[in-house]
Amino acid sequence: MAHHHPPMDLLIEYTTGALPVAQSACVAAHLSYCQQCRQLVERLEDVGGAHLERLDPQPVGQSVLELVMARLDDPEPLRYAPNEASDTQLPGLLDRLINGDYADLVWKRVTQSLSISYLKTGDPNHEFALYRIAEGGRIPEHTHSGSEMTLVLRGGFADESGEYHPGDFLVREGWDKHTPVALEGEECICLAVLDAPLRFTRLRHRWLNPLLKLRAG
Amino acid sequence: MANKKDASTARGASSNGRWNVPTGRRTDEWSEALVLIGESQDRGAFTRFFRHFAPLIKAFALSGSSLSASHADELVQEVMLKVWQKAGGFNPEKAAASTWVYTIARNCRTDMFRRLQKFDTPLASDDFELESEQEESFVLLHSRRGAERVRELMSDLPPDQAQILAKVYMEGKSHSEAAAELDLPLGTVKSRVRLAIQKLQGLMEA
Repeated sequence: MAHHHPPMDLLIEYTTGALPVAQSACVAAHLSYCQQCRQLVERLEDVGGAHLERLDPQPVGQSVLELVMARLDDPEPLRYAPNEASDTQLPGLLDRLINGDYADLVWKRVTQSLSISYLKTGDPNHEFALYRIAEGGRIPEHTHSGSEMTLVLRGGFADESGEYHPGDFLVREGWDKHTPVALEGEECICLAVLDAPLRFTRLRHRWLNPLLKLRAG
Repeated sequence: MANKKDASTARGASSNGRWNVPTGRRTDEWSEALVLIGESQDRGAFTRFFRHFAPLIKAFALSGSSLSASHADELVQEVMLKVWQKAGGFNPEKAAASTWVYTIARNCRTDMFRRLQKFDTPLASDDFELESEQEESFVLLHSRRGAERVRELMSDLPPDQAQILAKVYMEGKSHSEAAAELDLPLGTVKSRVRLAIQKLQGLMEA
């Protein structure tokens, strides 16, 4: 069960469809782990239903009804079928983006214990990537100039403010420095959504910063 | 329209001849219509449903004049077609019909915005929907009552909170977009939205 959840503001923006697609996908992935947040979102959706009922109805021509009636027998659009061979045990949405197993992804090695795989969401302003940290491995101290959402998918990590396990969701804003360390016993895989690149702060890692240019899209 | 009943009276709901179904089912006519559409592809029920909801979906599409009239009609078509296709998955114990329609309309509008902006994503909004699952019955009762309470309580919100909530929900604006349009600090928008939700929610929990 998840112990770290998206803040209320973010769940409201998720519910109303206001989040950019990469952030929305990250929140949806948390929901697949967290019944508490799912129920909250359902109740937030009730507020949407109540608003819908109170709108001033706008006239819709008879021709629109006829067009819809004529299409009722159309075949339904194809739906994505879950990938049963996958070993990721991921929510279907991520499974679709990854389209296979973690091992099949292109992993870009950043440090000895950190590799990154960039996934395509089409979001022009956000990078959507998986971070893979070897067990006990450390991500060098870094800051963010923008916001970062993180969802733990496998294993876990600890940083200055706590310990995080699968399903846990974190948002960081601005310049707070942190140094995540993967827990012992299993490698850690996290989903991270960024709107500005990470910046390593220590001199001996700073040369890596150009490699971390934001890869949105 | 809504035939309000709580679970204690729903048990005997068949006495009014409208329902002879198990305890706790929603008894409003639009949930009933959705069930008919889902279970027996009832075109009459679908037409009634269309006449009620299509004008609301069109109003939703035109909120904040974000879409043209012809795109609004296109959205109405897409949403109503999805209603027909997905009605079999509607669970009257879990959601109010209006809530269910709202989520479809929201998803279709998001996808339409992205299409109009030539925004190329492998993800359709429907991909974000989670598989429905068996929820505990007390949770169902809770959410069913919640939807009715929210409806009643909306009219008690102070105008400044009601205005922002409408902008956020019906126009699909983010907090920062709402702040810019209303010329208010972001923090003010966030706290008004949160307060409004807490009022609706607090009483939902009562």
